[in-house]
Amino acid sequence: MFEMFEYDFMQRAFVAGLFIAVLASISGNFIVLRRYSLMSETLAHSALVGVAVGLVAGYNPLWVAVGVAIGAAWLIEYLRSAFSLYSDAILAIILSGSLAVAVIIVSLGGAFNNSLFSYLFGSILSVTNEDVITIVIVGSISLLFLLLFSKELYFIAYDEEVAQTSGIKVKFLNFLLVSVVAIIIALSIRVVGSLLIGALMVIPTVAALQYRVGFRNTMLISLFFALFSVIFGMSLSYYYSLPSGATIVLSIIVIFIISLIINKK
Amino acid sequence: MKFKVPIFDVKNLNFIVRGQKILSDISFEIFEGEYIAIIGPNGGGKTTLIRMLLGLEQPTSGEIKIFGKKLKNFKEWYKIGYVPQRATLVDENFPATVEDIVKMGRIAKRGILAGISSEDKAMVEDALAKMDILDLKDKMVGTLSGGQRQRVMIARALASSPKILILDEPNTGVDMVSQQRFYTLLAKLNKEDNITILFITHDIGVIADDIGRLFTINQKATICNDPKKMLSCEEVSELYGIDAHALHHHKHEH
Repeated sequence: MFEMFEYDFMQRAFVAGLFIAVLASISGNFIVLRRYSLMSETLAHSALVGVAVGLVAGYNPLWVAVGVAIGAAWLIEYLRSAFSLYSDAILAIILSGSLAVAVIIVSLGGAFNNSLFSYLFGSILSVTNEDVITIVIVGSISLLFLLLFSKELYFIAYDEEVAQTSGIKVKFLNFLLVSVVAIIIALSIRVVGSLLIGALMVIPTVAALQYRVGFRNTMLISLFFALFSVIFGMSLSYYYSLPSGATIVLSIIVIFIISLIINKK
Repeated sequence: MKFKVPIFDVKNLNFIVRGQKILSDISFEIFEGEYIAIIGPNGGGKTTLIRMLLGLEQPTSGEIKIFGKKLKNFKEWYKIGYVPQRATLVDENFPATVEDIVKMGRIAKRGILAGISSEDKAMVEDALAKMDILDLKDKMVGTLSGGQRQRVMIARALASSPKILILDEPNTGVDMVSQQRFYTLLAKLNKEDNITILFITHDIGVIADDIGRLFTINQKATICNDPKKMLSCEEVSELYGIDAHALHHHKHEH
Protein backbone atom coordinates (compact mmCIF):
# COMPACT_ATOMS: atom_id res chain seq x y z
CA MET A 1 0.00 0.00 0.00
CA PHE A 2 2.82 2.39 0.85
CA GLU A 3 4.42 2.27 -2.59
CA MET A 4 2.07 5.06 -3.66
CA PHE A 5 4.05 7.41 -1.40
CA GLU A 6 7.13 6.84 -3.56
CA TYR A 7 5.57 9.29 -6.01
CA ASP A 8 5.97 13.00 -5.36
CA PHE A 9 2.44 13.76 -6.59
CA MET A 10 0.94 11.36 -4.04
CA GLN A 11 2.94 12.92 -1.21
CA ARG A 12 1.66 16.34 -2.26
CA ALA A 13 -1.91 15.08 -2.64
CA PHE A 14 -1.85 13.49 0.82
CA VAL A 15 -0.45 16.58 2.58
CA ALA A 16 -3.07 18.75 0.84
CA GLY A 17 -5.84 16.19 1.34
CA LEU A 18 -5.24 15.69 5.07
CA PHE A 19 -5.06 19.44 5.62
CA ILE A 20 -8.32 19.90 3.74
CA ALA A 21 -9.95 17.12 5.79
CA VAL A 22 -9.09 19.04 8.99
CA LEU A 23 -10.32 22.39 7.60
CA ALA A 24 -13.50 21.01 6.02
CA SER A 25 -14.60 19.00 9.04
CA ILE A 26 -13.93 21.71 11.66
CA SER A 27 -15.64 24.44 9.63
CA GLY A 28 -18.37 21.94 8.68
CA ASN A 29 -19.43 21.67 12.33
CA PHE A 30 -20.39 25.34 12.42
CA ILE A 31 -21.92 25.26 8.93
CA VAL A 32 -24.19 22.31 9.70
CA LEU A 33 -25.25 23.59 13.14
CA ARG A 34 -26.04 27.02 11.64
CA ARG A 35 -28.26 25.25 9.02
CA TYR A 36 -25.87 26.61 6.37
CA SER A 37 -25.28 23.22 4.69
CA LEU A 38 -26.34 24.49 1.28
CA MET A 39 -23.99 27.46 1.75
CA SER A 40 -20.90 25.28 1.22
CA GLU A 41 -22.38 23.93 -2.01
CA THR A 42 -23.19 27.45 -3.23
CA LEU A 43 -19.74 28.83 -2.42
CA ALA A 44 -18.13 25.87 -4.17
CA HIS A 45 -20.06 26.71 -7.33
CA SER A 46 -19.07 30.37 -6.95
CA ALA A 47 -15.43 29.31 -6.63
CA LEU A 48 -15.86 27.64 -9.99
CA VAL A 49 -16.37 31.08 -11.55
CA GLY A 50 -12.94 32.01 -10.16
CA VAL A 51 -11.46 28.82 -11.59
CA ALA A 52 -12.97 29.61 -14.99
CA VAL A 53 -11.62 33.17 -14.95
CA GLY A 54 -8.20 31.88 -13.85
CA LEU A 55 -8.06 29.24 -16.57
CA VAL A 56 -9.19 31.59 -19.35
CA ALA A 57 -7.14 34.63 -18.23
CA GLY A 58 -4.03 32.66 -17.28
CA TYR A 59 -3.99 33.48 -13.58
CA ASN A 60 -3.62 30.91 -10.78
CA PRO A 61 -7.22 29.56 -10.55
CA LEU A 62 -6.83 28.90 -6.81
CA TRP A 63 -6.32 32.56 -5.90
CA VAL A 64 -9.06 33.83 -8.22
CA ALA A 65 -11.40 31.18 -6.75
CA VAL A 66 -10.61 32.41 -3.22
CA GLY A 67 -11.50 36.00 -4.20
CA VAL A 68 -14.72 35.10 -6.00
CA ALA A 69 -15.89 32.73 -3.24
CA ILE A 70 -15.34 35.42 -0.56
CA GLY A 71 -17.25 37.93 -2.74
CA ALA A 72 -20.13 35.45 -3.11
CA ALA A 73 -20.16 34.75 0.65
CA TRP A 74 -20.45 38.47 1.41
CA LEU A 75 -23.15 38.89 -1.23
CA ILE A 76 -25.18 36.07 0.37
CA GLU A 77 -24.84 37.59 3.85
CA TYR A 78 -25.78 41.03 2.51
CA LEU A 79 -28.86 39.73 0.67
CA ARG A 80 -29.88 37.74 3.75
CA SER A 81 -29.75 40.76 6.04
CA ALA A 82 -30.85 43.54 3.67
CA PHE A 83 -33.86 41.92 1.96
CA SER A 84 -36.69 39.77 3.22
CA LEU A 85 -35.79 36.80 1.06
CA TYR A 86 -35.76 33.12 2.02
CA SER A 87 -32.19 32.07 2.82
CA ASP A 88 -32.36 28.81 0.86
CA ALA A 89 -33.80 30.67 -2.15
CA ILE A 90 -30.84 33.12 -2.10
CA LEU A 91 -28.44 30.18 -2.03
CA ALA A 92 -30.24 28.41 -4.89
CA ILE A 93 -30.09 31.58 -7.04
CA ILE A 94 -26.37 32.19 -6.43
CA LEU A 95 -25.56 28.49 -6.90
CA SER A 96 -27.20 28.14 -10.31
CA GLY A 97 -26.19 31.65 -11.37
CA SER A 98 -22.53 30.93 -10.57
CA LEU A 99 -22.56 27.69 -12.51
CA ALA A 100 -24.12 29.45 -15.50
CA VAL A 101 -21.48 32.21 -15.42
CA ALA A 102 -18.64 29.66 -15.08
CA VAL A 103 -19.87 27.59 -18.04
CA ILE A 104 -20.20 30.69 -20.25
CA ILE A 105 -16.69 31.91 -19.35
CA VAL A 106 -15.04 28.57 -20.11
CA SER A 107 -17.08 28.15 -23.32
CA LEU A 108 -16.12 31.60 -24.58
CA GLY A 109 -12.51 31.10 -23.52
CA GLY A 110 -12.27 27.61 -24.99
CA ALA A 111 -11.07 26.15 -21.69
CA PHE A 112 -13.57 23.26 -21.57
CA ASN A 113 -10.98 20.53 -21.18
CA ASN A 114 -9.40 18.09 -18.73
CA SER A 115 -8.12 20.94 -16.61
CA LEU A 116 -11.66 22.09 -15.83
CA PHE A 117 -12.75 18.47 -15.22
CA SER A 118 -10.11 18.15 -12.49
CA TYR A 119 -11.44 21.30 -10.79
CA LEU A 120 -14.98 19.92 -10.91
CA PHE A 121 -14.27 16.50 -9.42
CA GLY A 122 -10.78 16.74 -7.92
CA SER A 123 -7.58 15.15 -9.11
CA ILE A 124 -4.65 13.93 -7.05
CA LEU A 125 -2.42 14.40 -10.09
CA SER A 126 -3.11 18.11 -10.33
CA VAL A 127 -1.85 19.20 -6.88
CA THR A 128 1.31 21.28 -7.36
CA ASN A 129 3.96 22.30 -4.81
CA GLU A 130 2.59 25.82 -4.98
CA ASP A 131 -0.90 24.49 -4.16
CA VAL A 132 0.39 22.62 -1.13
CA ILE A 133 2.18 25.71 0.21
CA THR A 134 -0.93 27.86 -0.35
CA ILE A 135 -3.20 25.28 1.31
CA VAL A 136 -0.91 24.92 4.35
CA ILE A 137 -0.33 28.67 4.91
CA VAL A 138 -3.80 30.04 4.12
CA GLY A 139 -5.44 26.98 5.67
CA SER A 140 -3.51 27.42 8.93
CA ILE A 141 -4.68 31.04 9.24
CA SER A 142 -8.28 29.95 8.58
CA LEU A 143 -8.00 27.15 11.13
CA LEU A 144 -6.58 29.56 13.71
CA PHE A 145 -9.60 31.81 13.28
CA LEU A 146 -12.03 28.91 13.67
CA LEU A 147 -10.33 27.68 16.84
CA LEU A 148 -9.98 31.20 18.27
CA PHE A 149 -13.69 31.94 17.90
CA SER A 150 -15.01 28.41 18.29
CA LYS A 151 -16.85 29.13 21.55
CA GLU A 152 -18.51 32.25 20.12
CA LEU A 153 -19.42 30.46 16.87
CA TYR A 154 -20.83 27.55 18.86
CA PHE A 155 -22.97 29.97 20.93
CA ILE A 156 -24.23 31.67 17.74
CA ALA A 157 -25.05 28.26 16.24
CA TYR A 158 -27.02 27.39 19.36
CA ASP A 159 -29.05 30.60 19.47
CA GLU A 160 -28.10 33.65 17.43
CA GLU A 161 -30.36 36.08 19.30
CA VAL A 162 -29.33 34.99 22.77
CA ALA A 163 -25.68 35.24 21.66
CA GLN A 164 -26.35 38.77 20.42
CA THR A 165 -28.00 39.78 23.69
CA SER A 166 -24.93 38.42 25.51
CA GLY A 167 -22.79 40.99 23.72
CA ILE A 168 -21.28 38.72 21.05
CA LYS A 169 -20.62 40.46 17.73
CA VAL A 170 -22.88 38.14 15.77
CA LYS A 171 -22.91 40.03 12.47
CA PHE A 172 -19.13 40.39 12.40
CA LEU A 173 -18.55 36.73 13.26
CA ASN A 174 -21.11 35.59 10.67
CA PHE A 175 -19.21 37.51 7.99
CA LEU A 176 -15.89 36.12 9.17
CA LEU A 177 -17.25 32.57 9.25
CA VAL A 178 -18.61 32.67 5.70
CA SER A 179 -15.37 34.28 4.51
CA VAL A 180 -13.27 31.52 6.09
CA VAL A 181 -15.59 28.86 4.68
CA ALA A 182 -15.24 30.47 1.24
CA ILE A 183 -11.44 30.33 1.55
CA ILE A 184 -11.48 26.69 2.69
CA ILE A 185 -13.75 25.70 -0.19
CA ALA A 186 -11.55 27.45 -2.75
CA LEU A 187 -8.46 25.74 -1.30
CA SER A 188 -10.15 22.35 -1.45
CA ILE A 189 -11.26 22.24 -5.07
CA ARG A 190 -7.91 20.90 -6.35
CA VAL A 191 -8.24 17.72 -4.30
CA VAL A 192 -11.97 17.24 -3.82
CA GLY A 193 -13.42 19.27 -6.68
CA SER A 194 -15.89 22.14 -6.54
CA LEU A 195 -18.91 19.91 -7.11
CA LEU A 196 -18.00 17.62 -4.21
CA ILE A 197 -16.35 19.73 -1.49
CA GLY A 198 -19.75 20.56 0.06
CA ALA A 199 -20.12 16.88 0.94
CA LEU A 200 -16.77 16.76 2.77
CA MET A 201 -17.85 19.76 4.84
CA VAL A 202 -21.32 18.57 5.72
CA ILE A 203 -21.36 14.75 5.89
CA PRO A 204 -18.62 14.16 8.56
CA THR A 205 -20.53 16.45 10.96
CA VAL A 206 -23.92 14.90 10.17
CA ALA A 207 -22.39 11.42 10.72
CA ALA A 208 -20.77 12.55 14.01
CA LEU A 209 -24.09 14.03 15.23
CA GLN A 210 -25.60 10.53 15.14
CA TYR A 211 -23.45 9.60 18.18
CA ARG A 212 -25.24 12.25 20.33
CA VAL A 213 -22.23 13.48 22.28
CA GLY A 214 -21.18 17.00 23.35
CA PHE A 215 -19.78 19.58 20.94
CA ARG A 216 -16.09 18.88 21.55
CA ASN A 217 -16.52 15.15 20.95
CA THR A 218 -18.75 15.74 17.91
CA MET A 219 -15.96 17.87 16.43
CA LEU A 220 -13.33 15.20 17.14
CA ILE A 221 -15.46 12.41 15.65
CA SER A 222 -16.18 14.44 12.50
CA LEU A 223 -12.45 15.18 12.19
CA PHE A 224 -11.63 11.47 12.42
CA PHE A 225 -14.27 10.60 9.81
CA ALA A 226 -13.00 13.28 7.41
CA LEU A 227 -9.34 12.17 7.78
CA PHE A 228 -10.28 8.51 7.29
CA SER A 229 -12.39 9.21 4.21
CA VAL A 230 -9.66 11.34 2.62
CA ILE A 231 -6.98 8.67 3.21
CA PHE A 232 -9.26 5.85 2.02
CA GLY A 233 -10.70 7.85 -0.88
CA MET A 234 -7.29 9.01 -2.18
CA SER A 235 -5.94 5.47 -1.97
CA LEU A 236 -8.91 4.24 -4.05
CA SER A 237 -8.31 7.11 -6.47
CA TYR A 238 -4.65 6.05 -6.89
CA TYR A 239 -5.28 2.31 -7.34
CA TYR A 240 -8.33 2.55 -9.60
CA SER A 241 -7.51 5.82 -11.43
CA LEU A 242 -10.74 7.46 -10.31
CA PRO A 243 -11.41 11.16 -9.55
CA SER A 244 -10.30 11.69 -5.94
CA GLY A 245 -13.29 13.89 -5.03
CA ALA A 246 -15.73 11.13 -5.95
CA THR A 247 -13.90 8.38 -4.02
CA ILE A 248 -13.52 10.64 -0.92
CA VAL A 249 -17.20 11.58 -0.93
CA LEU A 250 -18.36 7.98 -1.41
CA SER A 251 -16.11 6.93 1.50
CA ILE A 252 -17.67 9.50 3.83
CA ILE A 253 -21.18 8.52 2.69
CA VAL A 254 -20.43 4.89 3.66
CA ILE A 255 -19.29 6.13 7.11
CA PHE A 256 -22.50 8.16 7.40
CA ILE A 257 -24.69 5.15 6.57
CA ILE A 258 -22.83 2.96 9.11
CA SER A 259 -23.21 5.72 11.75
CA LEU A 260 -26.94 5.96 11.02
CA ILE A 261 -27.44 2.20 11.36
CA ILE A 262 -25.46 1.68 14.57
CA ASN A 263 -27.08 4.70 16.27
CA LYS A 264 -30.64 3.95 15.21
CA LYS A 265 -33.04 4.84 18.08
CA MET B 1 -35.30 51.62 48.21
CA LYS B 2 -34.91 52.88 44.66
CA PHE B 3 -31.46 53.60 43.27
CA LYS B 4 -30.92 56.79 41.33
CA VAL B 5 -29.90 55.06 38.09
CA PRO B 6 -32.56 52.64 36.87
CA ILE B 7 -31.55 49.43 35.09
CA PHE B 8 -34.00 50.32 32.31
CA ASP B 9 -35.23 53.84 31.64
CA VAL B 10 -37.75 53.76 28.80
CA LYS B 11 -39.23 56.99 27.46
CA ASN B 12 -42.03 57.48 24.93
CA LEU B 13 -41.35 54.29 23.02
CA ASN B 14 -43.27 53.80 19.79
CA PHE B 15 -43.07 50.94 17.33
CA ILE B 16 -44.89 51.02 14.03
CA VAL B 17 -44.63 48.27 11.42
CA ARG B 18 -46.08 48.81 7.94
CA GLY B 19 -48.38 51.51 9.26
CA GLN B 20 -49.65 49.38 12.15
CA LYS B 21 -48.96 50.66 15.66
CA ILE B 22 -47.56 47.81 17.78
CA LEU B 23 -46.46 49.87 20.79
CA SER B 24 -47.62 53.36 21.61
CA ASP B 25 -45.95 55.86 23.93
CA ILE B 26 -44.52 53.37 26.43
CA SER B 27 -42.60 54.84 29.38
CA PHE B 28 -41.35 53.17 32.55
CA GLU B 29 -38.33 52.64 34.77
CA ILE B 30 -37.06 49.41 36.27
CA PHE B 31 -34.86 49.56 39.36
CA GLU B 32 -32.44 47.08 40.86
CA GLY B 33 -34.08 44.43 43.04
CA GLU B 34 -37.55 44.71 41.49
CA TYR B 35 -39.71 41.73 40.59
CA ILE B 36 -41.95 42.62 37.66
CA ALA B 37 -44.37 40.60 35.57
CA ILE B 38 -45.64 41.62 32.14
CA ILE B 39 -49.04 40.39 31.02
CA GLY B 40 -51.20 41.15 28.03
CA PRO B 41 -53.05 39.52 25.15
CA ASN B 42 -51.26 37.71 22.33
CA GLY B 43 -50.15 40.25 19.74
CA GLY B 44 -50.32 43.05 22.33
CA GLY B 45 -46.59 43.81 21.98
CA LYS B 46 -45.09 42.13 25.10
CA THR B 47 -42.36 40.22 23.25
CA THR B 48 -41.69 43.19 20.96
CA LEU B 49 -41.10 45.36 24.02
CA ILE B 50 -38.66 42.83 25.51
CA ARG B 51 -36.83 42.56 22.17
CA MET B 52 -36.45 46.34 22.09
CA LEU B 53 -35.04 46.38 25.61
CA LEU B 54 -32.45 43.85 24.40
CA GLY B 55 -31.59 45.76 21.22
CA LEU B 56 -33.02 43.07 18.94
CA GLU B 57 -35.61 45.47 17.48
CA GLN B 58 -35.24 49.19 16.84
CA PRO B 59 -38.08 51.45 18.06
CA THR B 60 -39.69 53.84 15.58
CA SER B 61 -39.21 56.60 18.15
CA GLY B 62 -38.42 56.98 21.84
CA GLU B 63 -35.40 56.24 23.99
CA ILE B 64 -34.10 53.30 25.98
CA LYS B 65 -31.33 53.71 28.54
CA ILE B 66 -29.68 50.73 30.23
CA PHE B 67 -27.79 51.40 33.45
CA GLY B 68 -27.86 55.08 32.51
CA LYS B 69 -26.35 54.58 29.04
CA LYS B 70 -28.13 54.90 25.71
CA LEU B 71 -28.81 51.41 24.35
CA LYS B 72 -26.47 51.83 21.36
CA ASN B 73 -23.61 52.75 23.72
CA PHE B 74 -24.30 49.97 26.22
CA LYS B 75 -21.59 47.28 26.14
CA GLU B 76 -21.95 45.33 29.39
CA TRP B 77 -24.53 42.88 28.09
CA TYR B 78 -23.38 40.20 30.53
CA LYS B 79 -25.27 42.19 33.18
CA ILE B 80 -28.49 41.12 31.47
CA GLY B 81 -29.57 37.46 31.47
CA TYR B 82 -32.13 36.64 28.79
CA VAL B 83 -34.22 33.48 28.46
CA PRO B 84 -36.29 33.62 25.24
CA GLN B 85 -39.77 32.24 24.65
CA ARG B 86 -38.64 29.16 22.75
CA ALA B 87 -35.87 28.32 25.24
CA THR B 88 -37.27 24.93 26.19
CA LEU B 89 -37.87 23.94 22.55
CA VAL B 90 -34.33 22.67 22.15
CA ASP B 91 -33.19 21.05 18.89
CA GLU B 92 -32.79 17.47 20.11
CA ASN B 93 -29.89 16.84 17.74
CA PHE B 94 -27.85 19.84 18.88
CA PRO B 95 -24.57 18.49 20.29
CA ALA B 96 -24.59 20.08 23.73
CA THR B 97 -24.35 18.80 27.27
CA VAL B 98 -25.94 20.79 30.07
CA GLU B 99 -22.48 22.07 31.01
CA ASP B 100 -21.79 23.15 27.37
CA ILE B 101 -24.92 25.32 27.45
CA VAL B 102 -24.28 26.87 30.87
CA LYS B 103 -20.66 27.65 29.90
CA MET B 104 -22.02 29.82 27.06
CA GLY B 105 -23.12 32.25 29.76
CA ARG B 106 -19.46 32.95 30.53
CA ILE B 107 -18.34 33.70 26.95
CA ALA B 108 -19.35 37.36 26.88
CA LYS B 109 -17.42 38.04 30.09
CA ARG B 110 -14.17 36.58 28.77
CA GLY B 111 -11.72 38.01 26.26
CA ILE B 112 -11.31 36.28 22.89
CA LEU B 113 -8.00 34.69 23.74
CA ALA B 114 -8.87 33.81 27.32
CA GLY B 115 -9.47 30.19 28.17
CA ILE B 116 -11.85 28.96 30.84
CA SER B 117 -10.59 30.30 34.17
CA SER B 118 -11.16 28.82 37.62
CA GLU B 119 -13.62 31.70 38.20
CA ASP B 120 -15.58 30.65 35.09
CA LYS B 121 -15.71 27.06 36.32
CA ALA B 122 -16.85 28.18 39.77
CA MET B 123 -19.60 30.41 38.32
CA VAL B 124 -20.84 27.59 36.05
CA GLU B 125 -20.95 25.16 39.02
CA ASP B 126 -22.70 27.81 41.13
CA ALA B 127 -25.35 28.42 38.46
CA LEU B 128 -25.90 24.65 38.07
CA ALA B 129 -26.21 24.27 41.85
CA LYS B 130 -28.66 27.20 42.15
CA MET B 131 -30.90 25.58 39.57
CA ASP B 132 -30.46 22.19 41.24
CA ILE B 133 -29.12 20.54 38.07
CA LEU B 134 -25.53 19.81 39.09
CA ASP B 135 -26.20 16.08 38.67
CA LEU B 136 -27.34 16.65 35.06
CA LYS B 137 -24.25 18.52 33.87
CA ASP B 138 -22.96 15.73 31.61
CA LYS B 139 -26.39 14.89 30.16
CA MET B 140 -27.25 15.87 26.59
CA VAL B 141 -29.67 18.78 26.77
CA GLY B 142 -31.93 17.22 24.10
CA THR B 143 -32.72 14.29 26.43
CA LEU B 144 -34.07 16.47 29.28
CA SER B 145 -37.69 17.19 30.19
CA GLY B 146 -39.23 20.63 29.59
CA GLY B 147 -38.79 21.63 33.25
CA GLN B 148 -35.15 20.53 33.32
CA ARG B 149 -34.41 22.41 30.08
CA GLN B 150 -36.01 25.50 31.58
CA ARG B 151 -33.61 25.34 34.53
CA VAL B 152 -30.64 24.80 32.19
CA MET B 153 -31.56 27.95 30.24
CA ILE B 154 -31.87 29.99 33.43
CA ALA B 155 -28.54 28.57 34.68
CA ARG B 156 -26.93 29.76 31.42
CA ALA B 157 -28.36 33.23 31.97
CA LEU B 158 -27.20 33.20 35.63
CA ALA B 159 -23.64 32.11 34.76
CA SER B 160 -22.70 35.65 33.70
CA SER B 161 -23.75 36.99 37.15
CA PRO B 162 -26.48 39.23 35.70
CA LYS B 163 -28.09 42.12 37.52
CA ILE B 164 -31.38 41.47 35.77
CA LEU B 165 -33.02 38.33 34.42
CA ILE B 166 -35.46 38.78 31.53
CA LEU B 167 -37.69 35.81 30.73
CA ASP B 168 -40.22 35.63 27.89
CA GLU B 169 -43.02 33.18 28.75
CA PRO B 170 -40.55 30.73 30.23
CA ASN B 171 -43.19 28.13 31.07
CA THR B 172 -43.92 27.17 27.45
CA GLY B 173 -43.80 23.37 27.30
CA VAL B 174 -43.31 22.94 31.05
CA ASP B 175 -45.56 20.83 33.33
CA MET B 176 -47.49 22.29 36.32
CA VAL B 177 -45.16 20.92 39.02
CA SER B 178 -42.13 22.43 37.27
CA GLN B 179 -43.97 25.73 36.87
CA GLN B 180 -44.56 25.99 40.63
CA ARG B 181 -40.93 25.11 41.27
CA PHE B 182 -39.92 27.71 38.71
CA TYR B 183 -41.79 30.55 40.44
CA THR B 184 -40.30 29.55 43.79
CA LEU B 185 -36.84 29.69 42.20
CA LEU B 186 -37.48 33.11 40.67
CA ALA B 187 -38.66 34.53 43.99
CA LYS B 188 -35.58 33.07 45.70
CA LEU B 189 -33.22 34.61 43.11
CA ASN B 190 -34.92 37.95 43.61
CA LYS B 191 -34.91 37.90 47.41
CA GLU B 192 -31.63 36.11 48.22
CA ASP B 193 -29.40 37.16 45.29
CA ASN B 194 -31.05 40.56 44.68
CA ILE B 195 -31.42 39.76 40.97
CA THR B 196 -34.00 41.97 39.30
CA ILE B 197 -36.63 39.87 37.55
CA LEU B 198 -38.68 40.91 34.51
CA PHE B 199 -40.81 38.29 32.87
CA ILE B 200 -43.75 37.80 30.54
CA THR B 201 -46.41 35.40 31.75
CA HIS B 202 -50.02 34.34 31.38
CA ASP B 203 -50.19 32.88 34.90
CA ILE B 204 -51.49 36.02 36.61
CA GLY B 205 -53.14 34.17 39.48
CA VAL B 206 -50.05 32.17 40.37
CA ILE B 207 -47.67 35.11 40.45
CA ALA B 208 -49.91 37.66 42.19
CA ASP B 209 -48.44 37.11 45.66
CA ASP B 210 -44.78 37.32 44.69
CA ILE B 211 -44.42 40.16 42.23
CA GLY B 212 -43.76 43.77 43.11
CA ARG B 213 -45.24 45.42 40.01
CA LEU B 214 -47.38 44.30 37.11
CA PHE B 215 -47.10 45.77 33.60
CA THR B 216 -50.05 45.28 31.30
CA ILE B 217 -49.04 45.67 27.67
CA ASN B 218 -51.68 45.96 25.00
CA GLN B 219 -50.19 48.48 22.57
CA LYS B 220 -50.10 50.87 25.52
CA ALA B 221 -48.63 50.13 28.95
CA THR B 222 -50.54 50.22 32.21
CA ILE B 223 -48.53 49.75 35.38
CA CYS B 224 -50.05 48.21 38.50
CA ASN B 225 -47.86 49.17 41.46
CA ASP B 226 -49.78 46.97 43.90
CA PRO B 227 -50.35 43.62 42.25
CA LYS B 228 -52.30 42.38 45.29
CA LYS B 229 -54.99 44.73 44.12
CA MET B 230 -54.40 43.93 40.49
CA LEU B 231 -57.89 42.63 40.02
CA SER B 232 -59.10 46.15 40.58
CA CYS B 233 -56.75 47.41 37.88
CA GLU B 234 -59.07 48.26 35.06
CA GLU B 235 -56.75 46.98 32.33
CA VAL B 236 -56.27 43.57 33.99
CA SER B 237 -59.99 43.09 34.46
CA GLU B 238 -60.57 44.14 30.88
CA LEU B 239 -57.98 41.69 29.60
CA TYR B 240 -58.76 38.69 31.76
CA GLY B 241 -62.27 39.43 33.04
CA ILE B 242 -63.78 36.66 35.12
CA ASP B 243 -60.78 34.41 34.42
CA ALA B 244 -58.58 36.68 36.50
CA HIS B 245 -60.85 36.28 39.52
CA ALA B 246 -61.03 32.54 39.01
CA LEU B 247 -57.25 32.19 38.73
CA HIS B 248 -56.65 34.35 41.75
CA HIS B 249 -59.14 32.52 43.97
CA HIS B 250 -57.91 29.16 42.74
CA LYS B 251 -54.40 30.11 43.87
CA HIS B 252 -55.55 31.06 47.35
CA GLU B 253 -57.61 27.92 47.86
CA HIS B 254 -54.39 25.81 47.76
